Amino acid sequence: MLLPLLAVALPARAAMTRGFNQLLDAVVRIDVREIAFEAGAKRYAASIGSGVILSADGLVLTNAHVASSRAIELNVTLANQERVSAQLVGWDHWTDLALLRIDMADVKRRSLKFAHADFGDSGKLYPGEVVYAVGTPYGLSRTVTRGIVSNTNQFMGDLQGVNGYETGQFNTWLQTDAAINPGNSGGPLVTEDGKVVGISTRGYSGANNLGFAIPSATARRVVEGLVRDGAITRSYIGLVPGALQDLEAFYSLALNTGVLISNVDPGSPAAKAGLHGGDILLAINGAKVVGRFPEELPGIQNQIASQPVNAALKLTVKRGNEARDYTVVTEKLESRVGEEWALEKWGLSVRKVSRAYARENQLDDDNGVLVIGVQPGFPADVAGLSRGDIVTKINQQPVGSLDVIKAAQTAYEGKPAPTLFEVQRARRVSLYILKP
Amino acid sequence: MKLRLLFSALLLAPFAARAAVDLPTLWAERAKCTVAVEYVTETETERQPTISMGTVIDTNGTIIMQSGAVDPRAATWQLKEFKVYLPGDATGTPAEYLGQDAFTGWHFVRAGEKIRAQLTPVTTFAAKGASPVPELSEFVWGVGLRNKDEDFAPYLMQSHVALIQSLPQRTAISQQEVASPGLPVFNRDGVLVGLAAASFGQSYLQFGRGPRPQPVVLINVEESSAFLLAEEMLPYLGRVPKNVSGRPLAWLGAYGLEPMDREVAKFLKLEAQSGAVVSEVLEGSPAEKAGLKDRDIILALDGKPLPQLKPDRVVVSYIELEVSRRAPGDTLELSVLRGGDRVELKAVLGEEPKLLREAERKYFDRLGFTAREFVYGDAIDRHVKIADTTGVVAHFVKPSSPAGVAGLRPDDWIMEIDGTEVKNFAAATAKLTEVEGDLARSEFVLLVSRNGETAVLRVKLK
Repeated sequence: MLLPLLAVALPARAAMTRGFNQLLDAVVRIDVREIAFEAGAKRYAASIGSGVILSADGLVLTNAHVASSRAIELNVTLANQERVSAQLVGWDHWTDLALLRIDMADVKRRSLKFAHADFGDSGKLYPGEVVYAVGTPYGLSRTVTRGIVSNTNQFMGDLQGVNGYETGQFNTWLQTDAAINPGNSGGPLVTEDGKVVGISTRGYSGANNLGFAIPSATARRVVEGLVRDGAITRSYIGLVPGALQDLEAFYSLALNTGVLISNVDPGSPAAKAGLHGGDILLAINGAKVVGRFPEELPGIQNQIASQPVNAALKLTVKRGNEARDYTVVTEKLESRVGEEWALEKWGLSVRKVSRAYARENQLDDDNGVLVIGVQPGFPADVAGLSRGDIVTKINQQPVGSLDVIKAAQTAYEGKPAPTLFEVQRARRVSLYILKP
Repeated sequence: MKLRLLFSALLLAPFAARAAVDLPTLWAERAKCTVAVEYVTETETERQPTISMGTVIDTNGTIIMQSGAVDPRAATWQLKEFKVYLPGDATGTPAEYLGQDAFTGWHFVRAGEKIRAQLTPVTTFAAKGASPVPELSEFVWGVGLRNKDEDFAPYLMQSHVALIQSLPQRTAISQQEVASPGLPVFNRDGVLVGLAAASFGQSYLQFGRGPRPQPVVLINVEESSAFLLAEEMLPYLGRVPKNVSGRPLAWLGAYGLEPMDREVAKFLKLEAQSGAVVSEVLEGSPAEKAGLKDRDIILALDGKPLPQLKPDRVVVSYIELEVSRRAPGDTLELSVLRGGDRVELKAVLGEEPKLLREAERKYFDRLGFTAREFVYGDAIDRHVKIADTTGVVAHFVKPSSPAGVAGLRPDDWIMEIDGTEVKNFAAATAKLTEVEGDLARSEFVLLVSRNGETAVLRVKLK
């Protein structure tokens, strides 16, 4: 009786072993050295994450919170313990993914060997399916943990961003009870045949067995975009969708019709078109939109984000008993986090005020740079500047870009003289002198 | 050396002896110009008793208390059951709240007739003619009142003057606590020299289980070592509010006045004086009408350059006092620095727009929240144009009430009720009264704005 069972089981097991072994040889440890500006000076920080090699020409997929544009040195430890350097191809904090390329010239010179993994279909996963998380938690050498898919479509609102960068609006998550520990980030979540169905990204600190991965359906798209353009361009119109659940009767809507517009960002394309919170979005360019449950919202956000930039969208919107079309012209989606720099002579770290930051903080425009750190005892600190201030003018000149403040510091270095800063702190305007 | 010391001790001895004999008598007489004031702040679901100390200023039973004695968010009609307790008195006598004076910040209360005869006005102990300014190291003393459970028993506090500062009012700092905040301070002869102000924080290190001590700031709220000099107090005792709202209130409308330090003053070539940056000129304000612009730097008022005071922040209080000592309709000349130019402006002060504490409110118990009229200050807080202001503000939300469960929070700006735009307070209360009265209704929907973002809230009533 046992034999037929074994006979059936054997080929499956063999297949799993082959695919799975290949996957194991594609998982790498990533050592990152990155620059941090927050201290009022340029400082270096080191961290460790995991990644998975996706192609024979050395593309490695990991998390954006492992390897970002701040990385200045990336080292990849292959499955055979050999270490080789890598370059950032591109990153996308919105989906928390980043793509690296291994130094292939070095690989060739040293005749290094590695395997690469293939994506599986995250859309075909079912709750209870066995999955494995592979990575290098806490920098330990390659570690496999096993669990099941706990949820294939988990919605997480109110996510903490990636080092201040926004994340998570455009995808739902794979949830698993496979142990995901710090350092697992960026490693693959795979099925028994070694196919990558997700990228392990986060766990709930303090909770047990609640791990979350970016589904491969999202990852595959982002990888294509990063390989092609080095970045993912998305569109923005300023709509924040809300689930309609239980509000259908109030809005006299059939079930599964439309999505609530919870908020419209002031000054955004949607606001300019006349939309406001409490409207119901029925269709985008004639295609019906359904946002009854929170799980459906990231898809809608992604649908809007996937439109070309500067495209005119026809939004069908219901307000009261009336439905009509509004034309909204998309803008390029920007992060609230602008470019950063440290002005070390002054002990002052700054970040360009972005349009998104200006909107969120009800600033009149995106002029100025945000202070993200001051070094104690340096001129900026002595003068009284502090984190959260916005420097709007230097010696009466508007600070429209980082270049303005960099040039001011260069001038100061050449000929140190008292420099007048106009600073806005929660709408209050103050003046400070930075002195040699 | 020893000889000389002995000599000066001998010289001082007669004075010290005289003061020592007199003090208990002086103290017993002067304690009669101090009282404790108790009142209740009645909110939607709570009654909050508060006790503050006050000084009697006339024979009509008028009493002044420090500005911090009343929460500025509370509406005056929420302040109830004022009672005045004599020192050592277990049962209070009902009193009337008269309002707050904007210039001094004092809250005025009038004691019931029954006990007026037992009160002595503090002016009885004022110097005839100019008030004496205590000298550095001079001995000063004052009255403290214990808590209610000790029948507000009076006690004696003594100290010496350590420093006199302009903040911008002339204020003496004594070495130790010298009186309860709001109670008078006297010199060795029992002559009034000042009124104890709110105390200031003192830095301490707190040692705990951790490896390092933590710096903490402690404030003694029952006793103060700072007092306003009599010359800054006596001329203003007549500023009894004409009504409980404290109006008329002079208004300029220069928002976010920020001081500058001496480095900035020097850079702007303002050697001996100071200035203050106007962060925003408020819409429709007298400042706007006078032509004041955002980021102008005020240099002088009525031709008088702003003084350099320490700490820098004090210059802001200086300007605020110059406005609040005036009346609506008065002219205030402003000299400002704009770019590199000096500009002279003439502002005719206006009447302060309706304040939070004056806003209309209505509590809906079944819904679980208070709707409050949207006032000028709300528009400033939310950075919106006054002309665009509709809606009402959720002033209070009862926890776990229908509105609370739906996610309504205090300070949410309610824009729509059941899909209908809320034009004003009257429209909102009419609509909410209708909703509350309709017992068959199972839900209603609010569109609210919070931190510039809107949200739709479904309030389930059953």
